[in-house]
Amino acid sequence: MRISLNWLQDYIDIDVPVEALAHEMTMLGLEIESIEQLGDDVQGVVVGKIIQIEPHPDADKIVVCQTDVGGDEPLQICCGAKNMKVGDKVPTAVVGASLPGGFQIARRKMRGVESQGMMCAAQEIGLPEGEDGLLILDEDLPIGADIKEVLGLGDVVLEIEVTPNRADWASMIGVARELSARYQSELRIPEVALIEQGAPIETVISVTVEDSELCPRYMGRMLTDVTVGPSPEWLCERLVAAGQRPINNIVDITNFVLLETGQPLHAFDFDKLADKRIVVRKAQANEPINTLDGEARKLGEEMLVIADGKNPQCVAGVMGGADSEVGDSTTTIFLESAFFQPASVRKTSRQLGLVSESSQRFQRGADPEMAAYALDRAAELIQDLASAKIAHGVIDHYPTPFVPREVTLRYARTYRLLGVDVPPEEQRDYLERLEFEILDHNDTEVNVRVPLRRHDVSMEADLIEEIARLYSFDNIPVSLPRARQCEKVFAPQEKRIRTLRHFLVGLGLTEFYNWSFSNADEVERAALPEQYRAMVKLENPLSEKQATMRSSIVPAAIGNAARNLNHGVPSVSAFEIGPIYVPGEGDAMPGQHNRVSFVLAGEMESAHWSRSKRVVDFYDMKGIIEELVGHFGLTATFEASDWLTFQLGQRATVRVGKHVVGTFGRVASAVARAFESDQVIYVAEIDLDLLLSQEVSEPQFQAVPTFPPSVRDLAVVVDSAVPAGELREKAAQSGGKILRSVELFDIFEGEQVGAGKKSVALNLVFQSEERTLTDKDTQKAIDKVLKRLKHEYKAELR
Amino acid sequence: MKEQLEALQAQALEKIAQVADLAALEETRVNFLGRKGAVTEILRGLGKVAAEDRPAMGQLANVVKDAIGSALDGRKSDLSVTADAAREASEAIDLSLPGRRPKGGHVHMVNQVTEEIIDIFAGLGFQVAVGPDIETEFYNFDSLNTPADHPARDSHDTFFVKPGVVLRTHTSPVQMRVMEQVKPPVAVLAPGRVYRVDYDASHSPMFNQIEGLLVDEGVTFSDLKGTLMHFVHHLFGKNTKVRFRPHFFPFTEPSAEMDISCTVCSGSGCRLCKNSGWLEALGCGMVHPEVFKHANYDYEKYSGFAFGLGIDRIAMLRHAVPSINHLYDNDLRFLEQF
Repeated sequence: MRISLNWLQDYIDIDVPVEALAHEMTMLGLEIESIEQLGDDVQGVVVGKIIQIEPHPDADKIVVCQTDVGGDEPLQICCGAKNMKVGDKVPTAVVGASLPGGFQIARRKMRGVESQGMMCAAQEIGLPEGEDGLLILDEDLPIGADIKEVLGLGDVVLEIEVTPNRADWASMIGVARELSARYQSELRIPEVALIEQGAPIETVISVTVEDSELCPRYMGRMLTDVTVGPSPEWLCERLVAAGQRPINNIVDITNFVLLETGQPLHAFDFDKLADKRIVVRKAQANEPINTLDGEARKLGEEMLVIADGKNPQCVAGVMGGADSEVGDSTTTIFLESAFFQPASVRKTSRQLGLVSESSQRFQRGADPEMAAYALDRAAELIQDLASAKIAHGVIDHYPTPFVPREVTLRYARTYRLLGVDVPPEEQRDYLERLEFEILDHNDTEVNVRVPLRRHDVSMEADLIEEIARLYSFDNIPVSLPRARQCEKVFAPQEKRIRTLRHFLVGLGLTEFYNWSFSNADEVERAALPEQYRAMVKLENPLSEKQATMRSSIVPAAIGNAARNLNHGVPSVSAFEIGPIYVPGEGDAMPGQHNRVSFVLAGEMESAHWSRSKRVVDFYDMKGIIEELVGHFGLTATFEASDWLTFQLGQRATVRVGKHVVGTFGRVASAVARAFESDQVIYVAEIDLDLLLSQEVSEPQFQAVPTFPPSVRDLAVVVDSAVPAGELREKAAQSGGKILRSVELFDIFEGEQVGAGKKSVALNLVFQSEERTLTDKDTQKAIDKVLKRLKHEYKAELR
Repeated sequence: MKEQLEALQAQALEKIAQVADLAALEETRVNFLGRKGAVTEILRGLGKVAAEDRPAMGQLANVVKDAIGSALDGRKSDLSVTADAAREASEAIDLSLPGRRPKGGHVHMVNQVTEEIIDIFAGLGFQVAVGPDIETEFYNFDSLNTPADHPARDSHDTFFVKPGVVLRTHTSPVQMRVMEQVKPPVAVLAPGRVYRVDYDASHSPMFNQIEGLLVDEGVTFSDLKGTLMHFVHHLFGKNTKVRFRPHFFPFTEPSAEMDISCTVCSGSGCRLCKNSGWLEALGCGMVHPEVFKHANYDYEKYSGFAFGLGIDRIAMLRHAVPSINHLYDNDLRFLEQF
């Protein structure tokens, strides 16, 4: 909401600088979005009077005007507007003037004719856009006067954000009231003097409220002999400062009173109401209405409408209908002021997709008492500004008046909650300043009556907040609470996940962070197994691409690699630790599991003067997974996988003990292409929860060897099909207690070993804890290894 | 024999002084002091010396042996230095060639900030708690005093999985999940993914928040201020100014928003802070009595504070990232900068 300081001064005297005021408002909870110095960027614009208009000799669309700005000679100004006539007064920017947007006015020629300035449209001097063409000013304005002064452009506007709990702040009086509590200065609410004349209202109009639940209060007045016309300058000025466009005196007055009091009003053209009736009722299903915004709408059965004898004329609290709109020919007005149930207005507004100044206020809760004042205030203004006559009496359907809440505050609780000791009399003073009526008080507590407009105050804590606001949060002292030990450790795995993250980063991997969303097509493209097609679906996704929660990180990982490679990044080595989601059985909640995914693509070793570059291969990924599993003190085993995501012969299932913990491999060419890549990409996904759940005890000390090791190399020739890793395992198992380790350091295929054969070279380390080994000891062990390999694989010593 | 020994010593010393490399020196050592060396040969003849002269001769022999030995050692050390210098000179390399840099990985910016925040609060006794991303409306809204017709519960703002089940819109539901499990004291920090129907340069439909909750006897708003100021001073530096101003959240009363002095202009006013000098940092307040009611906590006995802050925003402020979308693009050219 835009708060004009000029306007605010109507209700309260403010004698502090704008910055200080803005700070106080902020500290009251009135958040300042911006401070706007109206007309700050308008310089050198004055009131000019057009004294002559002649066609331009060389241009059809331009006229040449002589405009009097109070100088010795009138200025010759070329102008493209059409709406002005001789004698009109218009804002005139003289040579040297500056306009919003840093626009400087200079003497120039337009198609050969000199132009000594510019006559301005409303938006050109920073006002809301008006009708096409120049802004035609009031004819009484003095020629040569600074436009900022005559149009109130010297004003300061504070744009405030009203929190949803404080509907009462969405008005000039509401803000002034809050400031009056802060500054303890008098709040001036304009007195209303209206003259009732003519027939009693009941004889002119019949008002029936069929649904008092959705419409607890309905008020109205009749105004006759209305003259619809433009509003006076002061009223336009107020509305413009508030960011609204003046329309006609009746509409402007209802808008003005809404901004002034926060109470939305609606004016019906009485002569257009069928049967001279007002019926407040629920709409029928699909009942049509043309709303003021020019839309034809269909209403729902739950929506409250203000109807005449036949049709809805207004969507209650949201927007009026075009059929009974006040126009130039209107002479009789029924003016409505009501309290509509907030939830109903919110629902209707949402269903219709229609948000208005009115709906925003009603849905937060209007002030049922303000309805009466606002009605009279508007009637008075229409009487004064549209020379209308006010009928005798007022419609006031208010069968069950709201009862103000009473709340008790124990002074000690303020201290308990805020940590600052505010004396009881000071606490009471704050509450009274905020217009809480003190009903009763003693040494320990005070009982107050809450104003009806304060829908947000219903309990002790609410009153403590009021005290805290006026005491100022700034003045509440600062203390550091002592550390508390909770009786439970809630998420022990989080620390292990964090350690893992840094471990993986230490391996040279960068952490990815993908959205949790996915879609069925992505799973399809990644050719994931059937079980991944069971996905948690969203009812209202942002788009089809984010229609579900992800069932796997794999599609995102492939996509991440593809995009990076396509951007020209030579190497991708990354991981992601994050959740995947599975639908719940029946009514059960969906499940969420932690996964760690890896993606390796492009170069694993970049080109360097000391070596050539190397593209990623299967064993890069396998090694990372071995490290990952090893990090948890576990050992992984691998077997061939059947996932179609990965290329046949380069895909593996990872096992830890009896659990399958994940799958990895080289992304199949067709899958990579579906993600717009033709490069080598390896992806893995591992069940992190499963790894975290494996009970592993802390490593225990083992004696550091004191006797020297004996190291031997061994090369055996086997059929090419023999899995070399398995052979290594067998070798390691068969060397007896003294065989400490077996490393596989070379694989060779070629003529020397014969067709269909390969040589596997092993490095064996023997060591004893008891003595230095002799050649005989080691040879005995090697013989055992060779015998086993010969037996299992027909291995021959090379 | 005495003359023999003395001549040998002179001969040896001369020879030692002449040798040019370590191999020749070793040869010299063998020739004089080795098992078949000249000195050894002479000593073998010690048995033929008269018994009364033997001790003196033996002593002399040892003197000669030591003299030759120490000359050998001295010469060896000299020759080693020369040899090392020659080898090292031949091994000189081009110092300007690039080194082999191990490729380091990068923790994602969001987690860098999350971990830092956790560490700051861990020092104050807060521990980490987590909750599910897919939440019931009860935990996400009802238990946090957000009534059924509250606008935030609209499908314009909240992702729905099915009636009653949403993607959590904030990390606040973890508050209730924690309080249901234990009696006070409670001091937890709950980081995690949250979701809102909003997508532009400054909004991502998924982003990260961190929730804090401290409940016990005697916890006050002034504790809230102190805790969060401690946090800001550790994360943004001691000179960062902090202000608390009244705000509204359904699940706290009183509620506040905390602003910090602008990280770009330090408060003098710039585009980032819209000339206000302040940046909104987080929402906080004293836990609402209705929330305690759901948790079965006695509001008369206990009080507490809660706060929630957007991790992404803090990360963006720190590193001057212009759009939140960079955070979830997974572009290595971005990630490797941090």
